Amino acid sequence: MTRAAPRSIEDYLNQLRDALQGADPALIQDALYDAEEYLRAEVASHSGKSEADVLELIASTYGAPEEVAAAYKDTEAKVSAALRPMEPKSAQSPSAIRRFFGIYSDPRAYTSLFYMLLTLATGIVYFVFVVTGLSLSAGLAVLIVGFPFFLAFIGIARVISLGEGRLLEAVTGERMPRRPVHPGAPTGLWSRIIDMLKDARTWTTLAYLLLMLPLGIIYFTVAVVGVSLSFALIAAPLATIADRFGWLTLDGRGFDIQPAWLLDSPLGSIFAVALGVLILTSLMHGARGLGRAQVALARGLLVKPGR
Amino acid sequence: MDDHARKFQKDLNAGLVALVLLAVLDQTPEDLYGYEIAKRLQKANEGEALFKEGTVYPVLRALSANGLLTSRIVPSYAGPPRRYYRITEEGRAVLQSWSGIWRQTRNFVDRFMEGVDR
Repeated sequence: MTRAAPRSIEDYLNQLRDALQGADPALIQDALYDAEEYLRAEVASHSGKSEADVLELIASTYGAPEEVAAAYKDTEAKVSAALRPMEPKSAQSPSAIRRFFGIYSDPRAYTSLFYMLLTLATGIVYFVFVVTGLSLSAGLAVLIVGFPFFLAFIGIARVISLGEGRLLEAVTGERMPRRPVHPGAPTGLWSRIIDMLKDARTWTTLAYLLLMLPLGIIYFTVAVVGVSLSFALIAAPLATIADRFGWLTLDGRGFDIQPAWLLDSPLGSIFAVALGVLILTSLMHGARGLGRAQVALARGLLVKPGR
Repeated sequence: MDDHARKFQKDLNAGLVALVLLAVLDQTPEDLYGYEIAKRLQKANEGEALFKEGTVYPVLRALSANGLLTSRIVPSYAGPPRRYYRITEEGRAVLQSWSGIWRQTRNFVDRFMEGVDR
């Protein structure tokens, strides 16, 4: 457990990350962020001293990585315990019907639905980018330009994956990485390419970007069909009534609203509206659930495990 | 400090750091970021620090998550963006009631400590 005292900010952050292993990723990120703010400010305020000299004193001012990690874990446990009784009691067991329709007051459901529509566009862009980048990299590999090209291609793929994470955080509220993973100490072109090829995340990122095309097509189709079908079902009885009174005409002619056998009876009309509401509400629930599933998928494929 | 003293200090700090942070932010008109706050506390306490500055940050975040502080992020040239904190109305109300509790507790404890200090 006892390691050599950190001699650089990078060192300190790595030790802190190790000490926090197993904690909530958002907490780890907060802790690293806070420590980096403090350490950089501390080093900057001792302009005469070297980074190593400043870091030597850090254990007695800021605290050793293990101490700081323990403080975050303690506070997190205390805060979550303190917040639990503050949640309203009535929210614990709302009726099934209220839970079902409560989805309309959840902004995440709307944003997730929007995400489903957007994935067709992003899916196409990602797919074209990966296919073009991979085939050009393979084709250019025989030439010397192939290597920097591949490096740039993977670099852009990582920026895209960070952007996708930010988008998912905006949509679902689930915490996703805010900054790219630090590339580490600068090394030569060749060793960086080897590292990238050996890094499993490179390949899972590309797989995710490719996968977004078929997923995007499915999400988009489900969202469009669901929304239009449910709105049509809800509006059909009204349209039938309007049509019957001659309020709904095009070039002086009425419409033939189907299925007429259903909409001709009041009971059938009520059934159509109820079915429309049911489909729409289910779609909203499905969208929110899908947003969360997408976050899990993105965490698995885009975010480096343990980082 | 030996282990007993350290453990006692840690238990005491559990609530007191939050109280002190609210008081510091209540007394300054401008927003402060974590490093500034940590340095102010260090300056106020010459000699051996009662708590490590690193333990201030998680408490700031917890207070912020509870709505007692608000925060905003400001980009910085020197390093990562800084998170500036400001006390909220709710935070001021909590500080009022906490400081009452603190005075009461301190008087109560002091009453028993009178004969002990030598």
